[in-house]
Amino acid sequence: MRLALLMNRKLVVDSSVLIILNRRGTLEEYLKRRKDEGYEVFIPRAIARELLDEPKKYAEEIKERLPTLARKILDSVGRINVAIEHGLIKVETVKYRKYSRIMDNVRKHLSELEAKPEHALKKGDPELITLIIQLYDKSREKVFVSTKDKGLLRALKAFDKRVEYEVLESP
Amino acid sequence: MIDMAERTVSILKAVGNPNKARIIAHLTKHRGETAEDLGKHLGYPLPTVYKYLRELEAARMIESEVKGKVRLYYPSDFKFMISPEKLMEAFEEQSVLDVYKARFGEDGMKRLIEVTEKAKAGKMTYRQAASTLGITYYEFISLLDETGSVNE
Repeated sequence: MRLALLMNRKLVVDSSVLIILNRRGTLEEYLKRRKDEGYEVFIPRAIARELLDEPKKYAEEIKERLPTLARKILDSVGRINVAIEHGLIKVETVKYRKYSRIMDNVRKHLSELEAKPEHALKKGDPELITLIIQLYDKSREKVFVSTKDKGLLRALKAFDKRVEYEVLESP
Repeated sequence: MIDMAERTVSILKAVGNPNKARIIAHLTKHRGETAEDLGKHLGYPLPTVYKYLRELEAARMIESEVKGKVRLYYPSDFKFMISPEKLMEAFEEQSVLDVYKARFGEDGMKRLIEVTEKAKAGKMTYRQAASTLGITYYEFISLLDETGSVNE
């Protein structure tokens, strides 16, 4: 029974953690360890773009001047792609229609945090918080979160009556 | 693919550890041993042997092949020359911070420090910080990592 409970624990990992692990060459080891511990690692689609599209574009921009750095970045994008293809990272689509009110509330909290208009906010933060809620709604089991971003955790705290979650110490 | 600096560090770590160096020396004389054989012959616990083998293989100082149900290890044919010039060449890194500095100058650096402090204190999210600085999220996280400013 305990084993069953330990299996399929849902872990939403922010790209801050994934980018740093990838830069330090320990991403694969981390993901495999989490899998062995019974966690399924999730990211929302907006975060997948941050991990794949943004660095790829950046590498393209600098490749003439800094080919070594560009190649290193493209290699790191390749490692994320492999992790997604191998199912070590699952990319989940946030149901915008169903969670529109939650998304609005998240945006509101985030814009209060930094006094920026709601439309100027990047998609990653609202999608990440909404995904945590969406995964909780699906299983009604505590969702685990890993991020290095204190501001994001502050925004998530505003929803602690809506979702049961636990922040895992980030590597 | 790992870059030259990473490879240099992994080789130095491998040859700097007498136990790992002994594995390479032993495999040169007894090619094609399993991890269990190595543990038995050198007297290291099996988890330690596996750890060393992983690291040596990552540094491309040994290689392995699966034969039947066992994995056999062999030394790679490597040569490693070290000199101050070689080290300088390996560690002359290109960084995201250099790109940022070249693009935004001294004012940009001041702004980066201010915004990083706010983000580290949780007064804004990392994405908000990136957007405030006019850079991508990937660049911002890389800058935090390169400047040792990541929240632990």
